[in-house]
Amino acid sequence: MLETTLFLLRRLASDRTAALGALIITLLVVVAIAAPVLSTHPGDVTEFHPPERLLPPSDDHFFGTDRMGADVYSRLLFGARITIAIAVIAIGASVLVGIPVGLIAGYYRNWVSDALMRISDIFLAVPQIVLAIAIAQTLGPSIENVILALSATYWPFWARLVYAETRSALNDTYVEASIALGASPWRVMILHVLPNISSSVIVRTTIGMGGTILTAAVLGFLGLGPPAPSPEWGRTIAESREFLPEAWWYATAPGLAIFLVVMGFNLLGDGLRDILDPRTRRSGDG
Amino acid sequence: MRMLDQSAGVRRFLAVAALAVGVATASPAVAGGKFVFANSSAYDTLDPHAIFDVGRVASRINLYDGLMRWFDNPPHLEPWLAEKVEVSDDGLTYTFTLRDATFHDGSPVEASDVVYSIERILEMKKGAFSLFAGTVEPGSTKAPDARTVVFTLNKPSAIFLATVPEVHVVNEELVRANEVDGDLGTAWLSKNDAGSGSFQLTRYDPAVGWQAKRFDDHFFGWDMVENPLDIIEFRTVVEINSRVLGLMNGDFHGTDGYLPQDQVKRLAASENVNVDEQESMRIFYSIIHNGRSPMTDVNFRKALAYAFDYDGFINNILSGSVARDPVPLPNNMWGAPADVTGYTYDLDKAAEHLAMVKEPLREITLGALAGYGQTEQAAALLQNGLNKIGVETKIVTEPWPVASGKMRDEQQMYDLLFLWKSTYYADPNNWLGEMYACEQIGARNNSWYCNEEVDRLLSEARVSTDQAVRQANYEQANRLLAEDAAGIFVYNTKWFGPFSTRVKGVRFCPIGNGQEMRWVSID
Repeated sequence: MLETTLFLLRRLASDRTAALGALIITLLVVVAIAAPVLSTHPGDVTEFHPPERLLPPSDDHFFGTDRMGADVYSRLLFGARITIAIAVIAIGASVLVGIPVGLIAGYYRNWVSDALMRISDIFLAVPQIVLAIAIAQTLGPSIENVILALSATYWPFWARLVYAETRSALNDTYVEASIALGASPWRVMILHVLPNISSSVIVRTTIGMGGTILTAAVLGFLGLGPPAPSPEWGRTIAESREFLPEAWWYATAPGLAIFLVVMGFNLLGDGLRDILDPRTRRSGDG
Repeated sequence: MRMLDQSAGVRRFLAVAALAVGVATASPAVAGGKFVFANSSAYDTLDPHAIFDVGRVASRINLYDGLMRWFDNPPHLEPWLAEKVEVSDDGLTYTFTLRDATFHDGSPVEASDVVYSIERILEMKKGAFSLFAGTVEPGSTKAPDARTVVFTLNKPSAIFLATVPEVHVVNEELVRANEVDGDLGTAWLSKNDAGSGSFQLTRYDPAVGWQAKRFDDHFFGWDMVENPLDIIEFRTVVEINSRVLGLMNGDFHGTDGYLPQDQVKRLAASENVNVDEQESMRIFYSIIHNGRSPMTDVNFRKALAYAFDYDGFINNILSGSVARDPVPLPNNMWGAPADVTGYTYDLDKAAEHLAMVKEPLREITLGALAGYGQTEQAAALLQNGLNKIGVETKIVTEPWPVASGKMRDEQQMYDLLFLWKSTYYADPNNWLGEMYACEQIGARNNSWYCNEEVDRLLSEARVSTDQAVRQANYEQANRLLAEDAAGIFVYNTKWFGPFSTRVKGVRFCPIGNGQEMRWVSID
């Protein structure tokens, strides 16, 4: 196991773009954890100073101040916490639901399998963002509901993926062999199929993180995310619209942050795919 | 991006086509052009009796006429569809004599249409209904002949005449012909026009807005306006930046006069835009749900009032573009007392009052309106203050149609809600009488506030014909409401009406906000 991890890391380090992605994400995590230390005005998440509103970037305010006179830089750091929490929990829940559904539907060939896949088809039939907006709107704006909306609309992607991979793995000799030796369905699914399809799940999860962060920002932008005065990035961009183009820093900082993080996850996801799944490796690359 | 450009191109093409049609059907007068107004809220209905707000006032005053109408600033009331009005000595009988006027379909406006219109309002119980409820009984309005309408009130009302402009006259025959299952024609009238107003509806799409062409046979005639408009369009543009940019590059010719101050500055700097500044009557305040614990406790309400940073809000966030108004009445309206200084941002006093609260504390919900950044900033500022004295709060931002629905429901209403109260008619009753009279609870009184003494003063002022008594009563009611911290009263607004430099003749009136387009022309 340790050897595999080391191998992965070495491969990752040799792939420059993937390494960049990993670096960005590491940075995001560090920033989120150390937000109270790194921020210059940690109180500004809930505390405002109207006389200092819409100040341009300076030594005191790296990214200027917002409409309430709060430090954009400090709020950005605390916003990273929300972003990570939403992405990790929503994707975690999607994976926890999607993998078992996909495994069961893929392993068995009966009505349960059909029913599970038709249900996930229903979810996939509606554009994910539209469904997420509808759910978040119905439940009301809050972080919990954004997570719920994202999880509810994301799990079918994993269910589909795991289903297809399981179906193809079932034809492999090692699965046939273990079934012939009398292994129970659960044993086959968890000890034989799952480890062998894990690479595509990992790749999908990494890339999915980026998508989730983007969708969460969209929900925040539309006012369906955590309510004011939350420093959530999408909401900050929505607030800043009134003050464009004069207060350019107000929208630019969270905009860049979203861009970087989403790009980071995509680069890392691409890199991981190259390493773990040589079949779909990018052309012109090792 | 390409999609946007394309649709804009199509829209421009349609606009040209519509213009051509308009010119073809209009009289041989000189082409007066088309005026596009970027409206901040969507016109979900055009039925003049279903709505009664300022965001959707243009369809009422441009497509319809009332017996009386408000003009200019400070507003004065003039006969409009009526030629004259006589009031009996007991103040109960109002006799209106109609002018010669025609509806858009060519049929004459008759007294029976006026009777039908007021009966329709009373039966629909929507829009301006609450203004007439209890004063005008169904069936009490008569049309002795085609030109005479007699309103008989069941109690004297000092504000009746002031509210008559809201009786928009609809074409009875036309509405009845389009009635479905006794719906009073609501379904049909929500997207069609049965009026006699200066403009005649040509197109309506709830998602886009509406368009109307000049009605040449309007009773008032068009001689007074040189080169009047051919076509008016009220297009829904929710995004503030789109409205401002559209105005600066000439796509729009006007938009609402209550933009954030940062945008007003930007518009004023543009050479394509004139910003018309006028003293208005539109107060900004927070409703406090007085009927729910702990806001039932006057000390808690005072703590709230002391926890709002009035100075920071008015001078910093709004760059001093508005005037502090410590009472629920615009300070330029008669009846506003000069001796009330109001609350200041004083957290020590807030904490003092909070310590005296006997009700158990809990998390307080602060409501704000989506798309109106100012309400959210006010809520955040109050939250900031309340945080410091240990009151937990949660901000809920919802669109106006949602909020206005909740405002009528005691259970669903937010604990507090920041919003404006505009002028629907220029009388103190428009503010005090509606916001704090006991009988208006759940209708226009969304504070669930009912104070015996205040209610007595307001009821008396509502029926008295003695101006001195009315003024004294309103002043006293204001003092009591401020003392009671019935709401958090913040400011009275100014109107900064941005119009294209090509536009002339805008007549601003706090009722209608300068959106009566018959006086306007465009180069």
